[in-house]
Amino acid sequence: MASFRLPNVLNSVIHAHNDQLLRAKKPKNGVGAFIFPCRKLVFNYCERSGSSKSMMEYLQRQAMNFAEENPQIEVVVQPRPSKHPVIRAFYTNGHQKTKCVRKCSADEIPEVVKSLRDHSGHKLRKWNRYVISDTPSVRGIYSPFHVKEIHDISDQKSK
Amino acid sequence: MFSVARTRLGTAGAKVASGRALSLSTFTSQKMAKQTRPIINNSDETTYAALEARLNVQFKDRGLMKQVCTHKSFDQGLESSNERLEWLGKRVLNLYVGEYLVAKYPNLPMESLQDVQHANFGMGSLAEAGKHFGMLPAMRWSSSAGPTQTVGATKVLGKAVQALVGAVYMDQGAAAAKEFVKRHLLTKPVDIEAVVQLKNPKTMLVELTKRKGLEYPIARLMKETGRFTSSPVFIVGVFCGTRMVGMGFGSSLKMAEYRAAKDALLKHYAKEIKDVQLVDADDSDLTFFKDSEATASASASAFAA
Repeated sequence: MASFRLPNVLNSVIHAHNDQLLRAKKPKNGVGAFIFPCRKLVFNYCERSGSSKSMMEYLQRQAMNFAEENPQIEVVVQPRPSKHPVIRAFYTNGHQKTKCVRKCSADEIPEVVKSLRDHSGHKLRKWNRYVISDTPSVRGIYSPFHVKEIHDISDQKSK
Repeated sequence: MFSVARTRLGTAGAKVASGRALSLSTFTSQKMAKQTRPIINNSDETTYAALEARLNVQFKDRGLMKQVCTHKSFDQGLESSNERLEWLGKRVLNLYVGEYLVAKYPNLPMESLQDVQHANFGMGSLAEAGKHFGMLPAMRWSSSAGPTQTVGATKVLGKAVQALVGAVYMDQGAAAAKEFVKRHLLTKPVDIEAVVQLKNPKTMLVELTKRKGLEYPIARLMKETGRFTSSPVFIVGVFCGTRMVGMGFGSSLKMAEYRAAKDALLKHYAKEIKDVQLVDADDSDLTFFKDSEATASASASAFAA
């Protein structure tokens, strides 16, 4: 391949620019393999306090089943005396979510656990677009009403 | 009631159908760690069992995942580290990535293949993949800057991912390793145009057409608009005889010609084969590792019986 040498200063600038262009991109979850986002759930409870009552029940009855059904999540049970019961979730993207389950009934706690488990870890954000695409078109998203010949299904129906 | 001492509930693994270590553990009451500083070296047996399940691998050797995540800087090298696994895994990974790139880009020259591999499957990308797997909290290492710092995490993570590939290869065989690499690391889109260096595209195109026995390339203006305004657009095509090999746009004729030559070169060199079919790695006969016994940790001196 033909090439010519630039002065060293320019070379380093181009190299830095290229490095920026080539910065490692994050993998897309689900395209190849799916990595479950929730990696760890920590259950904190107090053995004496009344607010931890349903939490303790959950831990005694359902926590083991939950851990068995979700081998990809590291489940940690940690006593935290004189504090309200809390469930903390850690996600693979580095974010955390904490939910205090003080005075929750025995039915509510499994739901909280489920919602924490199913969360992606990303912070809530407002998407201002209908479609997010890697290959956006200059002409915009397809609309069936803005074509030359609108597709008519009445012919097919009469068949 | 839960015992106060640190236990791993369910060590009687008979309950667990899949045979994995139960990912549930109890700790002594500790001060709730403030999550402001990075958590380093706070992993447990259950972390590695969970990591295996998340990645959908199940090592025959139970301590292998822990070893994969142990960098030699941990504990002054007293624990068996992932050095050897990383060395092996690097070569396995480069083999499968090389196969993939050579199959996918049949016209790409060697320097560009190197650049593509470095950009998309080098340390930075592997570290991103490692973070995506959730390996960073599972890593056992210590930064050169201090025990609570994360300086150098990229390289350590990248090496851990290479070690992971090596571990899969050693424990499960060549086919499993290839499948692992394919599923986890070969699925992101590769950006060729940013990598392929095309200085002097016009000269390069002349050389290319000469090599291929085509006619000398001539640029022709195909469409234009706004020639005498502040924002003209020219569309130029490069022709070898009657065949158009490349097309480019620009706000000046020179710019458009440059882009057209570049387009022609990219069409040739960066030609991509979609849905490349990789030959499946056939069997464990390919490796030197005996399939029967669980090949122990890499610190064992002999692999064969």
